[in-house]
Amino acid sequence: MSPTQELVIDKNKIPQFIKQTLSSYIVLGPVKNNNLVSFKQITNSKEITMDFTNSKVPPKSLYFPQTETLFRFTKDKDIEIETPKNDGKTLVFGIRPCDAKSLKLLDQVFSGEYEDSLFLSRRKNTTLVGLTCNSPSVNCFCTSVGGNPDDTTGLDVLLTDIGDKYFVELLTQKGKNLVESFNEFKPAKNEDKKKKTVISRKARESIQRIVKTEKIEQILNEIFENKYWGEISRKCLGCGICTFLCPTCHCFDIQDETAGKKGARIRIWDSCMYPEYSMQASGYNPRPAQMNRMRNRVYHKFNYFPKNQHVFGCVGCGRCIDECPVNVDIIEIINKAREVKNE
Amino acid sequence: MVDNKKLQGEIKKILGRNDVKHVICYSKGTYGFQTTPYFVSKKDDIEKIIFSPLCVNNLSLYVKFDEGTEKIGIVVKGCDSRSLVQMIQEKLIPREKLIIVGIPCNGVIDPKKVRQKIPEELENIDVVEKNDKFIFKRDGKKQKIPKRELVFDKCLVCEYPTPIIYDILVGEKINPLGKDEYKQVKDLESKSLDEKWKFWEKQFSQCIRCYACRNVCPACYCKECMAEQLNPQWLRRSVNLSENTVWNVMHAFHLAGRCTDCGECERVCPMDIPLMLLNKKVEKDVRELFDYLAGVDVDEKPLLAMFKPDDPEEDIK
Amino acid sequence: MSDPYQPWPATIETIIEEVPGERAIKTFKLRFKDKKIHNSFSFKPGQCVMISLFGVGECMFAISSSPTQKDYIEVSVMRHGKVTSALHEIQPGDTIGIRGPYGNHFDIESWTGKDMVFVGGGIGQAPLRSIINYMIDNRDKYGKIDIIYGARTRRDLCYKNELFELEKRKDINTQLSIDKEEDGWTRFVGFVPNNLLRIKPSPKNAIAITCGPPIMIKFVIENLIKLGFSDDQIFTTLEMRMKCGIGKCGRCNIGNLYVCKDGPVFSYKQLKNIKGER
Repeated sequence: MSPTQELVIDKNKIPQFIKQTLSSYIVLGPVKNNNLVSFKQITNSKEITMDFTNSKVPPKSLYFPQTETLFRFTKDKDIEIETPKNDGKTLVFGIRPCDAKSLKLLDQVFSGEYEDSLFLSRRKNTTLVGLTCNSPSVNCFCTSVGGNPDDTTGLDVLLTDIGDKYFVELLTQKGKNLVESFNEFKPAKNEDKKKKTVISRKARESIQRIVKTEKIEQILNEIFENKYWGEISRKCLGCGICTFLCPTCHCFDIQDETAGKKGARIRIWDSCMYPEYSMQASGYNPRPAQMNRMRNRVYHKFNYFPKNQHVFGCVGCGRCIDECPVNVDIIEIINKAREVKNE
Repeated sequence: MVDNKKLQGEIKKILGRNDVKHVICYSKGTYGFQTTPYFVSKKDDIEKIIFSPLCVNNLSLYVKFDEGTEKIGIVVKGCDSRSLVQMIQEKLIPREKLIIVGIPCNGVIDPKKVRQKIPEELENIDVVEKNDKFIFKRDGKKQKIPKRELVFDKCLVCEYPTPIIYDILVGEKINPLGKDEYKQVKDLESKSLDEKWKFWEKQFSQCIRCYACRNVCPACYCKECMAEQLNPQWLRRSVNLSENTVWNVMHAFHLAGRCTDCGECERVCPMDIPLMLLNKKVEKDVRELFDYLAGVDVDEKPLLAMFKPDDPEEDIK
Repeated sequence: MSDPYQPWPATIETIIEEVPGERAIKTFKLRFKDKKIHNSFSFKPGQCVMISLFGVGECMFAISSSPTQKDYIEVSVMRHGKVTSALHEIQPGDTIGIRGPYGNHFDIESWTGKDMVFVGGGIGQAPLRSIINYMIDNRDKYGKIDIIYGARTRRDLCYKNELFELEKRKDINTQLSIDKEEDGWTRFVGFVPNNLLRIKPSPKNAIAITCGPPIMIKFVIENLIKLGFSDDQIFTTLEMRMKCGIGKCGRCNIGNLYVCKDGPVFSYKQLKNIKGER
């Protein structure tokens, strides 16, 4: 990776910059609709908002769409299969460091012995411009799982709001390619860098919720059979909000949908919180109760994924806590699990 | 305002019986404006039980899948009690199984509205009712906001603030807070078909089919939901405008004459879809056609399981 | 990057009705349409393939033929749900899709010279048949072979004709059973785990592989341990609901292992230590 370059750009030059990128990239950015922010394709720089905490639906949906065609087929005398085409060069603007990190985690899932070309080719064609979280929200806990409000993992460029300018860090060649054609980027001065350092530190310190993750994988190994899991899952509705809004959740279902002779095999997001998820045709369900499913989810984030990929399967974005209708709180669950172990 | 000590005392009495599994009530949440369902049994901490204007959950949903023979205690507001009435009407659960602690309610705070006015912080916020205002206390500072600006829309027109059925009442009975004129429904009804369609198209395009609306609904208790069925498949799993419309409209129709207006579906929807608008339209039609409102009379038969001599259907006349 | 989700078209050569009526089982002999694919497709016993019925869906099945059989691959399908019911309706000559092979395999290389004990129940015999037939085709490489197989009734026995033929061989000990008494059945009557205890295969230099309904596997493993088999001498193939078959959709996990990718073959030693439902 080439050494970072540090620049600044006046905030009022951003709309022009975005306008320029529209001519060579498909541009996706945070769009506000009433109070709901989501990453959408834009055709005009005015559509983007930079004043938001985070999107409701995580940007995983841009690479791993909720509904995606794996291939189409026509059932005549023979079967004809048609592979879907790839999107062009894409730019995602305003992605938060936790979400950018989640994309790196999903890269690990979708590559390996079998490469998921749908996901990976989209990722290859994308440039990510991140935005430092100057004011993390109540339930953010990225710092507990190896992240930071100004973490650069997975990003090509990182912007930090330092007042009337953005501090710009160029992290990869893709990032450099993006900015070099726009001449309003100027080298950062020491005072700019100082501002950025102070803002980053303040942001980090403002994160109040801490998950004690030391040796958590081991602790979870020891309390698998504990009745604790039954207690914490009683109020869970099994609704699926946490899994759908989680940036690292990647479970999907595959179904065939047909209309006459033509059809498509599609994949759609699925949730391990639904009973049908693991239900076998014989009627046997290895995870028959909400307790099994909740435990499986917690373990997947803090035990199974670390066992397989050597990192936490959670980036601390806090969406599951924000949106859970009954206040199932992963921070509380993990911290209390430690106490259960000591009982 | 509810006397928490009195509430805790009543629940303690219930737990003192030997035929009660647990009592479903509320306790403080893990941050800010949150409260959470709390299943309390003999060995649990009574002091954690609270009731405040932040207790928005309809706890009656937890009764729908309970298969034990022991009794269950449950804390309900006026709107929540209507769900229990509906369940009893449909014979989902016998009245004797429930020990109902009723709490007459002057309105609870819509989390989406309060988060617009007061920044959410980690520490649980204290909120008391005083006349027509809510007083928020945090870090020694006070903030007063008129109730009208913070309560759910359903609370402004609540006709049943006092629980309809209960074994114990914690607090004084309250008169209706308003009358439901179905204003928002009528506003939408007055628009053209094109405008109506554009409105719902925008809303249903947001739906992510998480089924939170279904899982939180006390009236949704099918063992296998129509949305999950594969043989035959009524609803494709694809998430697009067409299938989302089928889901939302199908759901509203399955609740026709059964929805008791608790509004939980709209509260939990992560995409802010105005689900109550759909449900209230069906409710209004049911009221006009059959002079029937769900969940108000425990002795009445459920709408779709009975007929009245003056029903408009041809096969009744 | 090639697409791992796209199946190769294949033709149904023949269909054998193993079990008629209730709990029907059919065995399908399949050939890839593309000769090149057919010739390059190689697998080891224990591996599985995803069979696609375009327009209906996909299911993972163990390959029940041995890799020494070069003309076709066989899968045995029990009629249960949407896809398997549709599979039971198709005719020879129809086109389906195959992708694979997936999963790990039985360690046929390190087990040379060992005595093999196969304990199967019902449709669970399908993956076992692949390794049994492989070992029969390489008979002198392996020691004693015990085949202990049973089903609910005589009608439910899978691969009846093959197994009755195997009974006649002196170099293989085939012990069949059914759960309840039936007219004309002179062999053992009772559950497979009990038949295992009756036969008492020796654990010395032996490997035991079991496959069948979850409850049967549980008791077979208990009894194998009673007979002196150690945890790493006992193997099983497990089944879970599967969709992608390549360890990405998440659902077939047992703890941190995916049955499609890290299984379906697991040693009991592995299973004992995994924190997860199965």
